[in-house]
Amino acid sequence: MAPLLQVERCTKRFGGLVANRDVSLTIEPREIVGLIGPNGAGKTTLFNCIGGSLHPDEGRIVLDGTDISAARPERICRLGIARTWQVVRSFGRMTALENVICGALRRTSRVGPARARALDLLAFTGLAGKEDVVAAALTLADKKRLEITRALATSPRLLLLDEAMSGLTPFETAAAVELVRRIHSELGLAICVVEHVMEVVMPLSHRVVVLDHGEKLTEGPPAEVARDERVITAYLGDRYRGRA
Amino acid sequence: MVWAIATLVALLYPIPFERSGQIYYETVGFLVLLNAMLGIGWNIIGGWAGQFDFGPSIFFAIGAYTAALLSIHWGFNAWLALLGAVAVSVVICAALTYPVTRLRGHYFAIATVAMWMIAQPIGATWPLINGSQGLFIPVAAGGGFVHGMLTMEFPGRGKGLGFYYLSLLLFAVTLLGARAVERSKWGFYFRAVRDDQDGAEAIGIDSRLYKVIARCLMAAVFAAGGTLYGFWALAVFPDQVLEVNWNILPMMAAVVGGLGRLWGPVLGAIVLIPISQLMTATLGAGPLAGRGIDLIIYGAVIMLIAGWRPNGLLSLPWAAWAARVRGRAPAPAAPTSPERS
Amino acid sequence: MTIFLQAVADGLQMGLLYALVAVGLAIIWGLMEMINFAHGEFMMLGMFGAWGLSVSLGWDPLVSMVPIAVVMYGLGVLVYRLLMQRVQRGEMFTQIFATVGLFFFIQNGVVALFTSDYRFVEGSLLTRLSGANLSLGGVRIGVPLLVGGLIALGLFLLLYLLIDRTDFGLAMQATAEDRDAAMLVGIRPQRMYAVAWGLGTALVAVAGVILANFFSVYPQAGLSFTVLAYAIVALGGFGSVLGTLLAALVVGVVQSVTAAYLPPAFKDAFVFGSYILIGLFRPQGLFGRF
Repeated sequence: MAPLLQVERCTKRFGGLVANRDVSLTIEPREIVGLIGPNGAGKTTLFNCIGGSLHPDEGRIVLDGTDISAARPERICRLGIARTWQVVRSFGRMTALENVICGALRRTSRVGPARARALDLLAFTGLAGKEDVVAAALTLADKKRLEITRALATSPRLLLLDEAMSGLTPFETAAAVELVRRIHSELGLAICVVEHVMEVVMPLSHRVVVLDHGEKLTEGPPAEVARDERVITAYLGDRYRGRA
Repeated sequence: MVWAIATLVALLYPIPFERSGQIYYETVGFLVLLNAMLGIGWNIIGGWAGQFDFGPSIFFAIGAYTAALLSIHWGFNAWLALLGAVAVSVVICAALTYPVTRLRGHYFAIATVAMWMIAQPIGATWPLINGSQGLFIPVAAGGGFVHGMLTMEFPGRGKGLGFYYLSLLLFAVTLLGARAVERSKWGFYFRAVRDDQDGAEAIGIDSRLYKVIARCLMAAVFAAGGTLYGFWALAVFPDQVLEVNWNILPMMAAVVGGLGRLWGPVLGAIVLIPISQLMTATLGAGPLAGRGIDLIIYGAVIMLIAGWRPNGLLSLPWAAWAARVRGRAPAPAAPTSPERS
Repeated sequence: MTIFLQAVADGLQMGLLYALVAVGLAIIWGLMEMINFAHGEFMMLGMFGAWGLSVSLGWDPLVSMVPIAVVMYGLGVLVYRLLMQRVQRGEMFTQIFATVGLFFFIQNGVVALFTSDYRFVEGSLLTRLSGANLSLGGVRIGVPLLVGGLIALGLFLLLYLLIDRTDFGLAMQATAEDRDAAMLVGIRPQRMYAVAWGLGTALVAVAGVILANFFSVYPQAGLSFTVLAYAIVALGGFGSVLGTLLAALVVGVVQSVTAAYLPPAFKDAFVFGSYILIGLFRPQGLFGRF
């Protein structure tokens, strides 16, 4: 089966800093890929390149055969990629329902059907009862849920989650993992998760890609990656080498 | 219920003044409705889409001039001229706006001011529109009220009344149109672009396109307003239609009333226009006349609203006040039955 | 060719004065990203101050520059504390809108007090020097404008020293970079902002005092200078003091050359058009870093 997303040798520079150097990865349909690495490894930059808010200086990004390296974010969304953000974003002055309707309007032009779909999705992600709360007034956990709901409303084939668990309590984290599982099993999306919380990423992912200092260090099944010396060194430093 | 009363008031407002021959108040009503309509138009780009346009009068002028030219050179009926004015204004707006959609916030605001300032020497010197000497719209004599409504021509006494109802009609059309937009996909997308442009793009909203659409809707409303004004004034002069008041009053009405609220500009216009007229009336021909006292007051109002009530008058706790007023009404004479709790 | 060179020379001199007009805006913007529609009105107040003191007390504008600067500094701080401080916490539109209100208030306040009649400063040192020229290879350089320009340049350099070489200036730069970090080291941002407003207002008012020697004084003089100042600050890279100077020189020359070849009504059109072009193609300005 052809991969859904192909990142080919993506390089992105900011002045003298090379945030991504020659990064290649693929994502198959219905796959959950974890993207990990220490802070500053270039994970969010890569997401930004895939999502279109940045464009790679070198290399290509191909979605299902279509080159999206230079595409604007709205086109990339139309082609089937949705994302959440490292710092949670919402349309603060609109209600939760209105936020999701904005997403749903991607697939239907009329507000009526968009609203119905939005209500369904809010129920699916566990925000039922909070439809009329103004987004700015939601708790952080609910804001993140809303962000995901809104992204789902655009009917993506690939969902990019950027540190969706950060700032959550263990209880909230478990609920969020549960949600991601449900999204995957019931909606059949491919999902790419950037995460620092190992207890979340490892059990959730089919495959893990590790970035360090802008380069891809290694990739593979979670268990293998967790034992990989280079990964341990990247995260914990030389002292922990050999303690796999 | 409230709407029924309001509609009735709006429809019947000029009748007593017509009877007593006080055309002046009809004209005040005309100005209130015109500015309310422009305010609603401005609210689309400023309140909903969150892009602050400080030079919308260029579309007011384009509307007035296009309608005047169509009427003078091709004998267009006023309503056809209005449609033509709207079309031209929208096209020009799209052309002007698309390039500057990259600008955000105040960069965009200054760009709109810059456009307005460029328009002024053009208006004063362009031969097609007769430069600063202006264009004069011919009006046929005679014709009753109905004829006037169909042609926007009210020679003689019926002018105040006629233009009041014309402005009421256009205002109603604008209000209903805006309401429809507010509830449509466009309305959602405008507000999304305002709240978080990057987030909006990530869910598939072409922010540049929708900024253009929002501004074009405003341009359409301003063009219609400009047409109405032109036929009222029977002359179009560049320094009148590009006057700073047409930039600032609609925006003020929207902000004072409640930015982003459908009825905000209406409340704002009802509050602000009479201030200006009151100043003109009380200061009359005295030493302070024409000294811009009304603008001083406007300036003070703007600063007060910005500093203390940025969400406008509609955001005042009307419901709470109304409840308190009702609560202070005398208790009913009969004692409440003990079973009622 | 001489026409062109003359226009360039005139433009450079005007550019120095424009730099003084624009630098206050650059400081306020660079520090707190605030837009001030009333910027030109403060300049206009400086002009009226110069005229008023000249007519009533016979003071030369070069002398009244000092008290006017002090008073306008106070006015700037007052405006910040009473109004801008409040709206700073709110949305950007409210900030812009508040200064629009200030614009109407000041301009029409002056109209109410003095009418819109044009006034002139007469008998000042610089106006008496008018007609005195230096000649540089066929190009005439008027002494009054040259002196005015040099004064502006001098003030500009003083400002540069203040910002770059004093502790206070360093504190301002720190606040501009990272307000929270500045607070952590004991700098009070509110104080920085108030001073910035005071300085910016004083500088533009002094520019007005100098300009009053060459231009008619009337209440509506401010707005085109406000937009001009914005064009300059945008061109120079918002927040860069040196960039403002260079950009102002460029703008002065563009305006002057335009006026030499096109009808006078269009002299500003090119400048405003450039602002739009800069915004589109090089938003960081000619000299700024984004």
